Amino acid sequence: MSAEATLHDATGHAHDGHDHHDPPFWKKYIFSTDHKVIGIQYGFTALVFMAVGFFLMMVMRWSIAYPDRPVPFLADLPWFQSWLDADGKVTGELYNMFGAMHGTIMIFLGVVPLAFGAFGNYVTPLQIGAPDMAFPRLNMASYWCFFLGGVLMFVSFFLPSGAAKAGWTNYSPLATTTDLGYANQFWTGQTQWLFAMALLITSSLLGAVNFIATIINLRAKGMTWMRLPFFVWAMLVTGFLLLLAFPPLEVAAIMQIMDRLVGTSFFVPTGLNVAGQPFDVAGGGSPLLYQHLFWFLGHPEVYVLILPAFAIVAEIIPCNTRRPLWGYKVMVYAAMVLGFLSFIVWAHHMYLTGMGTSVSTFFQTTTVLISVPSVILITSLLISLWGGSIRFNSAMLFATAFIPMFGIGGLTGLPLAFNNLVLHLHDTYYVIGHFHYVVAPGTIFALFAGIYHWFPKHTGRMMSEKLGQLHFWPSLIFMNGIFLPMFFQGMAGFHRRAFDGGAAYQQISSQLFMPGDSVFGGIFNFLFGRAAGQDILMIDLNLIMSASAWLLALAQIPFVINLFISVFNGKKVTSDNPWDATTLEWATPTPPPHGNFLTEPVTYRTAYEYSVPGADEDFLPQFVPDKETGAPEPAKVAAKH
Amino acid sequence: MASSQEELDRLKKSYVAVGAALFVFTVVTVFTAHWWHPFGPVMGWRDVVLGLIIATVKSSLVALIFMHLNHERGLVYKVLTFTFYFFLGLMALTLFALFDPIPEAFDAIQNALR
Amino acid sequence: MEIPYEVTARRDTGLYNAKIGVWLFLASEVMLFGGLFSAYVFLRVGTQPGFDNPWPMGINVQKIWPGFINTLVLIASSVFVVFAWVALKERKWQVFQRWMWGVILCAVIFMGFKAYEYSDKLLNHHDVKLVDNSILGGKILDRTHKIRFAAEEVTVDFSGGIPGFIGEIDEDAGDVEFTVVEGADEDDPKTVKLSQFKKWFSTQRREAMAEAVAEKMKRRKGTWEEGKDEPAVTKAKLTAKFNMHVDPHYIVQRNEETLNYRDRTTVKGKLIDDSIKLELHNINLQMIPMQQQDAVLAWKLIHESTGNDDIKKQVLETRDSRIEGIKKYYEDGVVPVKALRGPYVNYHNLHDSHGHDHGHDHSHGDAHAGDHGSEEAGGGHHGETIVTIPRDQARFVTNHGPRAGTYYAIYFTMTGLHGLHVIGGALVLAYFLFFGKRIYLKNPEHLANRVEVGGLFWHFVDLVWIFLFPIMYLM
Ligand code: HEM
Ligand SMILES: [Cu+2]
Repeated sequence: MSAEATLHDATGHAHDGHDHHDPPFWKKYIFSTDHKVIGIQYGFTALVFMAVGFFLMMVMRWSIAYPDRPVPFLADLPWFQSWLDADGKVTGELYNMFGAMHGTIMIFLGVVPLAFGAFGNYVTPLQIGAPDMAFPRLNMASYWCFFLGGVLMFVSFFLPSGAAKAGWTNYSPLATTTDLGYANQFWTGQTQWLFAMALLITSSLLGAVNFIATIINLRAKGMTWMRLPFFVWAMLVTGFLLLLAFPPLEVAAIMQIMDRLVGTSFFVPTGLNVAGQPFDVAGGGSPLLYQHLFWFLGHPEVYVLILPAFAIVAEIIPCNTRRPLWGYKVMVYAAMVLGFLSFIVWAHHMYLTGMGTSVSTFFQTTTVLISVPSVILITSLLISLWGGSIRFNSAMLFATAFIPMFGIGGLTGLPLAFNNLVLHLHDTYYVIGHFHYVVAPGTIFALFAGIYHWFPKHTGRMMSEKLGQLHFWPSLIFMNGIFLPMFFQGMAGFHRRAFDGGAAYQQISSQLFMPGDSVFGGIFNFLFGRAAGQDILMIDLNLIMSASAWLLALAQIPFVINLFISVFNGKKVTSDNPWDATTLEWATPTPPPHGNFLTEPVTYRTAYEYSVPGADEDFLPQFVPDKETGAPEPAKVAAKH
Repeated sequence: MASSQEELDRLKKSYVAVGAALFVFTVVTVFTAHWWHPFGPVMGWRDVVLGLIIATVKSSLVALIFMHLNHERGLVYKVLTFTFYFFLGLMALTLFALFDPIPEAFDAIQNALR
Repeated sequence: MEIPYEVTARRDTGLYNAKIGVWLFLASEVMLFGGLFSAYVFLRVGTQPGFDNPWPMGINVQKIWPGFINTLVLIASSVFVVFAWVALKERKWQVFQRWMWGVILCAVIFMGFKAYEYSDKLLNHHDVKLVDNSILGGKILDRTHKIRFAAEEVTVDFSGGIPGFIGEIDEDAGDVEFTVVEGADEDDPKTVKLSQFKKWFSTQRREAMAEAVAEKMKRRKGTWEEGKDEPAVTKAKLTAKFNMHVDPHYIVQRNEETLNYRDRTTVKGKLIDDSIKLELHNINLQMIPMQQQDAVLAWKLIHESTGNDDIKKQVLETRDSRIEGIKKYYEDGVVPVKALRGPYVNYHNLHDSHGHDHGHDHSHGDAHAGDHGSEEAGGGHHGETIVTIPRDQARFVTNHGPRAGTYYAIYFTMTGLHGLHVIGGALVLAYFLFFGKRIYLKNPEHLANRVEVGGLFWHFVDLVWIFLFPIMYLM
């Protein structure tokens, strides 16, 4: 689309003005280089992948709650049956496979692509007033790498060996020695996991280069660093995290591929026995090396998961409280400090690997330090709510819920910074509860909020509020229903990655949670059809969690309906800026055409000027020139740098 | 950068000079590797340090002259500083962890395997 | 709107887009190779002497000259790239072309030497680690590191993947025909050709799995009638006569008549020969404390093969003089075992007198067992010492490929990745050479920018090699 084309159309409808050189369908919607189309592609693919990850989890939850009963529905499907044991029950191996793939899919194929790939791609160039990403073709390559990686992950389920089974962390030597019983080591799930990861990493690296270059070089006139919306800052930091943290994992993946396919022993120690036989490799490698390389990525990765969530929430809260974001600058610096520190805390995942006390102390200290910027971020968001006349639409509900949910996740993480506590809590359900509070009711809620918030920009229609509420409240309840009991179980000593939900550990699992004659006990026994007065044991909490998990699935139905119905039937927006927001993306036509802006946008002020005293309206968009002076401010701005 | 012909000529000269220096340094590295140990091919820490110093000098030349870092703007330096910091963190902290094991546990494992 | 700053630099950042892009990309490349360098240091420093496989110093096991020449070649190519860029700045297309050709040529030379080095290591150098951790180095003759076996009957398991034994059948066995004895339906083919085996197996596998699932379903639903319903068949027995050479790596259990593969295949037949024949080049006793070095298995095997004591005498003399030397550092004269281990005792170049490819580092070799390669004994290739090693005395057999130990693993991984970067960079630059004219005619500055960016990548590749050369070849 040439510049003239858009300019000519500026008077009329920009988006249907290009017909004289409209690209063919496949170029416009499939192999598109337009950041918005790619963003939507990312989003749609990620949602589908996430649904699969969710499905795996539901099967796992069945196995945890009812390890001795056949899986309902699925056990009667022949293709699924081949995975189950003779009684139609989930086997330990299947649980491992689904568990590993649930983690992998949710993180690498779900949340990161949705948060960074979809929202980042769609919103970032709009918010900085750029016509597109700096390297549109790279952007497309990034999406297709991701897509291929995802497809490879799914193909691996249907190999004779099944998909990867060694956890999302894929620790060696377990991961190196899994699936040895296949002559063709290349086509095993475990190996394909590595290749798929290599593709996903490549995709992320391409994306990261593109984002950073775009934010640095394509900011519109007047868009100085401190006028960037917080969203863009968060994307910049996330980009750096991906750019610098992912390569060591790529190294680890390459080395593990070598270990599996070529027979090197990077991660295989001397003297390893597999199934009673000496493992026929040279040895001398180090499993700890793998863990170091993995967690060097792994920890920054959790900030890759959470920073975009903060970013989205930080856009939605000011817009709906009609108040400026509290402590914008502090938040920006906090995000940067967070990025820096996130690279030197990784070994807090490895306290129990035989590290000495000095190393432990170092990593404890940095870990405690990194909680400071996180708390700054969450507190700023919380204070931003203060004194606002809050507009509780669905986006805002999710964004508000994000704050306490992330709060729980973050605060329960603090104990895990201390190695003496980790002695007790390592690899228990406490850990599972902790990080799921961060990523599930945390990040996922923020992502939902983002969808509700930006949906009108792309479609020109609003999503239904009623369905939105119907989506939010059950989701909130059931999320907590799943993850809150995990803390109790974890502190009681329930081990994670146990396919029977801890039943095998009699002594742990039979601890009393609540007497049967208590109110809770009464309700519980009634709901689950058990004899009245029966005591509630720790292991019985599994029933609540699993039921919540399945109900959570039902709670997503309104969302899916909402998403599809609203595209065609939603209320039409009346302006390009339906939320009366201040940032640049609302200055484009709806939906934004290829090239985004009709005329080159100019930025006149900081990002969150809501309820400015003396202004005509309660918001002053970045793109509207000052009324009184009449003279656009950018002159001043240009002098600054 | 480098718009006028004189500047380009100057650049060309510096490129030749750097190329020559790199050749010389390469010969020197190989030479030191052989010359340093009259007691046989035993690499002491001195050899390693020397070899790494020479390599660092060589790579600095490449980065500064060939890659025009000497003319580059602050932004590139910022990015490279981040990168260097993280690389250093990776290298140093993994080694830190390696050199600070719980000794008894470590010995016990080795003895058990032997 | 068009995307701005594609050719010209933005004023406040001073950079055009592609330059930011490539520097960011290089930053991630720094972390990529940084991760590998960390792994190198971690593995090298973490090697436990006497416990893990010894970490050889590059200077002892590498030919230096190919690496040396490659270093020079890459430096030259780096100079060529900047000259090509200058030529574009001067708007001299033909000069640009000439320099670019130089770069491509350098890349080809570099990869040529690389290929030579790799194949030499993979084909001509082997190590056999014996059960007492003494290591014999040399060249294994005619695939004798594999088990040679005459097979008569094969049982395959359909619940696994395609069995690996079919890749181990001797080439001269031709298109072996298997006769299905057991485990297939009536209407299935009774014989399978080797060339059809994979296809046959996949079909059978699909059927077998479907049957197994149906059986499971029936049993669960209680409609299974014991004795009436036939249990699913998941194995098949086939017969055929052929010879094979088997990689012991894939075997979990074996005896004179049976091989049990990891993939649950069983091959019955008769063992032909199971000993490893090694053309001896060096003895590596780095894992053995010095005072025990005269009793290692390696000597016994060497005796049996050659009856020549010269090597042994020479090596032991060297050892004794070294112990004497070490003792000086311990006042009471008692040397701790730890000090007697370590990277001192690699007796290499046992056959210098033949002068071919193993003798490049003898100028500094301290522990030469001498030039007594004992041509008179052995009777193997070119009169070399041929040691015959029974399989049960060999703990680990390998060539000097990536399997040989962590040094070789990281060597191949790093140089291999670096090689891929060379190829990638050369392709990009070749693209400018062959298809750049169009951009050049439109806007020469644009092409100059692109060559600068491509050149930045190329210099980075050079820079990585500048570090790889000393740490892999010299230290
Ligand atoms: C929303 C509903 C979700 C539920 C109910 C859920 C449930 C579970 C369960 C039951 C496990 C297995 C625990 C174990 O056996 O050790 C698990 C593991 C895991 N989940 Fe989730 N999950 C959800 C969402 C997510 C999301 C959004 C992410 C990431 C962004 C995620 C990442 C992981 C990871 C990394 C693991 C660990 C896998 C491993 O052990 O290797 N989950 N989850
Ligand atoms: Cu962490």
